[in-house]
Amino acid sequence: MLKRWIINFAYYLDTSKSYQKRKRFFYNILEDDKNKYKKYIDIFMAILIFISVGVLIREVKHHVDDHLMFFSNYVISFIFLIEYLLRFWVSSSVSKIIVARAEHDTFLHREVNLYKAFRDVVKVKLAYMLSPMALIDLFAILPFYHELRLLRLFILFRVFKLFRYAKSLQTLSSVLATKKFEFLTLGIFAAVVIFISSVLIYVMEGNNPASPIDTLYEAIYWAIVTISTVGYGDMTPVTHEGRFVAMLVIIAGISVLAFTTSLFVSAFTEKLDEIREMKTIEDVSKLKKFYLICGYEHVAREVARKLSSHRNDIIVMDEDEQRVAQAKKDGFTTLHYNPGRIESYEKLGIDIEKQVKAILCLRENDIENVYAALTIRSINKEVFILSLLMSDANKKKMTFAGINLTVYPQELVGLITKELVGKPVAFEVIHELRSENADVKIDELGVTERIVEYFPTVGDLGNKDFRVVLLGIYKQSSDRFYFNPLDDMLLEVGDYLLVVGYQVFILEFEKYLHTKIKASNE
Amino acid sequence: MSKATALIFGHNKYAHEIIANVKDKYAHVKVFSLHEEDLQESEIELELFDLSDEWVEMKQGVDMENSIAFCVLEDIAENIFLTISLRANFKDLTIIALASNSESANKLKMAGASKVIPLVETTSDIITNMLEKPIANKVLHSILYEESDLKIAQIKIGEGSHFKDEELSSIDWTRYNGIIVLSVMRKDKKSEFIYSSKAKRHIIEEGDILVVVGYETDIAEFENKIGSKRYVNWSHWSW
Repeated sequence: MLKRWIINFAYYLDTSKSYQKRKRFFYNILEDDKNKYKKYIDIFMAILIFISVGVLIREVKHHVDDHLMFFSNYVISFIFLIEYLLRFWVSSSVSKIIVARAEHDTFLHREVNLYKAFRDVVKVKLAYMLSPMALIDLFAILPFYHELRLLRLFILFRVFKLFRYAKSLQTLSSVLATKKFEFLTLGIFAAVVIFISSVLIYVMEGNNPASPIDTLYEAIYWAIVTISTVGYGDMTPVTHEGRFVAMLVIIAGISVLAFTTSLFVSAFTEKLDEIREMKTIEDVSKLKKFYLICGYEHVAREVARKLSSHRNDIIVMDEDEQRVAQAKKDGFTTLHYNPGRIESYEKLGIDIEKQVKAILCLRENDIENVYAALTIRSINKEVFILSLLMSDANKKKMTFAGINLTVYPQELVGLITKELVGKPVAFEVIHELRSENADVKIDELGVTERIVEYFPTVGDLGNKDFRVVLLGIYKQSSDRFYFNPLDDMLLEVGDYLLVVGYQVFILEFEKYLHTKIKASNE
Repeated sequence: MSKATALIFGHNKYAHEIIANVKDKYAHVKVFSLHEEDLQESEIELELFDLSDEWVEMKQGVDMENSIAFCVLEDIAENIFLTISLRANFKDLTIIALASNSESANKLKMAGASKVIPLVETTSDIITNMLEKPIANKVLHSILYEESDLKIAQIKIGEGSHFKDEELSSIDWTRYNGIIVLSVMRKDKKSEFIYSSKAKRHIIEEGDILVVVGYETDIAEFENKIGSKRYVNWSHWSW
C-alpha cells in the first residue's frame, strides 16, 4: 500500500507542471549563470558573508550589538540553511529516480524494487553532500548550532562560499582543478620532504637541552617554516648535524617552491585563452543588438569598420587564427569559432532572434558562405542573412541556402561603369550621397506619433527652412515610395522620410521634428 | 555624344560585367588579354597585349582621343603599370581603373587613372547602406540603375536657358514639382549641393550642369521649360 502510494506520488511530482516549474525556478536562480535574477542572489549572499566576517573580526576586541549578533548567528545561518536545503533539493530529482526504477522494473515484468530506487537516491544525494562546495555550505551553517568560540571559526567557511557567487573565483578554482594531478604530486612531494625533515631534525636536536626544538610538533613547525623559505629564526638548530639537516631542508624547500610556482604559472598560461574566451562569451551574451560577421577578410574588415562607426556592436566569428588575430587587433569582439558549425552557436549561447540584427557571411568564398548560411538557417529561420557572392553561378544556391540578400562585387563594378560612362556627374552626386566621408548625406527619418500629431502633412514639415531636400516618403502601409510628394500628402506613423542635405542640417531638422511639442507648449 | 571606343584591358568576370553594361553605349568594344590561352578559350573576340607594348598599333587602329579605357587586370601591380603606361602615351585618354582597396586606389590615381573604383570600399559601402539605410539604398539603387521609372539626369544650362544669370537660391524650384534638383555642377567642375550655403550665392551660368531626379516625362518637361538639354558629352568631362 505504502509502496503504491510512494510510486504514485513520484509519478505525480514528475509530471506536475507547477512542481517542476518551481523546482526549475530555484535551480535557475541558484545555478544558472544566464538567469537574470541569479546575480542579485549572488550579491545578496556575498553581502551576508561579509557581514558575518565583519562581525567575527569586530567581536575579537569589541562588544558587538546583540541584534547584529543575533542577525549574524541566526538569521544569516538560517538563510544559509534554506539555501543549503534548496541546493540539496534541486541537485537531483528523487521522483525521477523512483519513476525510472518503476518503469525499468515494469518493463521487465518485475515487481518494483523500491529498495534499489532509494539506494540510488541516497547515492546521488550523498555524492552531492560530500562534494566540496556542499561541505563548505554545510560548515558555513554550523555556527548556528554552536556558540563555542572555536566553532565560530567555521564562519570563515562562509568566505569559501564566495566561490559560489563570484565568477572570477570560480574561474580560479577551475584553472587549478585542471592541474589536479600535478598538485597532488606536489602535495605528496612536499609532505615527504616535511616528514623526513621533521623526523631528521627531531632526531638530531630532540635530546639536546640547548636546542629549542624539543617536540615532534616543534620539529614539523620548524621544517615547514624553513621549507617555505620564510625562516622566522625563532627556532634554529644548534648541533652540527642539525645545521647540516637545515641546509638540506633549505635546498629541498627551494625546489618545492619552484615546483609550486611553475605549476601555477603553467596552469594559468594554458588556460588564459580559455578564460579570455569565457569572458568574451559573457560579454556577447550581455549585448542587446549586434551584427554577426562570419569570416574576416577584406570586405568584412571594411564593413565591420563602417558599421562600427555607425555605433553598432559587431561580433566577428572566424576559424582562421590569423584572421581572428587581425579582427582582435582592429578592436572587434572576436570568436575563434567555425561559422559553419552548430556547436559554435551553441557555445555562444546567444538568442539569435532577439540579439542579432543581421548575420553577414563575408568570406570571399561562396562554398564557405553557403555552408555558414545553412548552419545558421538550421538554427533560426527568421534572422536576416546577407552574403558576399563571388561567382554569379552560385546565386541560386545561395538563395536555396536561405540567404536573404547577396552582394556580387563584379556586378556592382558593371553597374557602376554603366553609370559612370552615361551620367558621370549624376553618378558622382549619388556616390557622394552614399559615401561615408561626404558632408552631404541621404538619411531616413522615421515618422513617429509625435511627428504625425504636430506635422500632419508634408507641407507642415518645413524642411526647406532647414535646407533639407525631401526626396520622398516611403509608406510602410503600402510598401511604396512616393517621390517628391505634394504638400497635402498625409503623414502616417511608420512612414520614413527620405531626406538629402548636409548632415548638420538634417540633424537640426530631425531635432526640430522631435522638439515641436515643447515649442508648441511654450 | 558618347565616346566611340571602349578599350577593356583584362579578361575576367569584371571585364565581362563591364562589357555587358557598356556595349550599347559604344560603337566599338575592344577587349585585351595578357594571356595567349585566353584567345582560344574565350567566347568573345580578344586581342593580345603585353605590358611592354609601345602602343604604336593601338595609336594607328583606334581613335584614342575619342576612347575610354577600363583597366581591370587582376594583378594590381600589373594594373598600375598598365595605367601609367597608357597615361604616358595618351595624355587625354579617360582611364577607369579597378582597385582592390584604397591603398591601390591611391597608387592608381598617382599613375594617372581618371577614375578609380576601389572594390572593397565600394562593396562595403553598399553592404553598410543596405543594412543601415535600406530604404534610401533601395531608392538610390533604383534611380541610379534605372530599375524604376524614376530617373536621374544631368541637364546643361544652355545659352538660351532662362535660368542663366539668375541666383540659384532665388529660383523657386518647387514650381517644378515633378522633379527635384539635387545639385549643380559649376563650370569649374565643382559640384555643389543645391541647398548648401555656398550654392545659395551662386549665379547660374551657361555651362553649369543641374543634376535632377524625376520621372522621364517630368524631366523632359523641365528641359523644355528651362530651355536646356540633357548632357552626356564626355569631351567636356574632366575627372
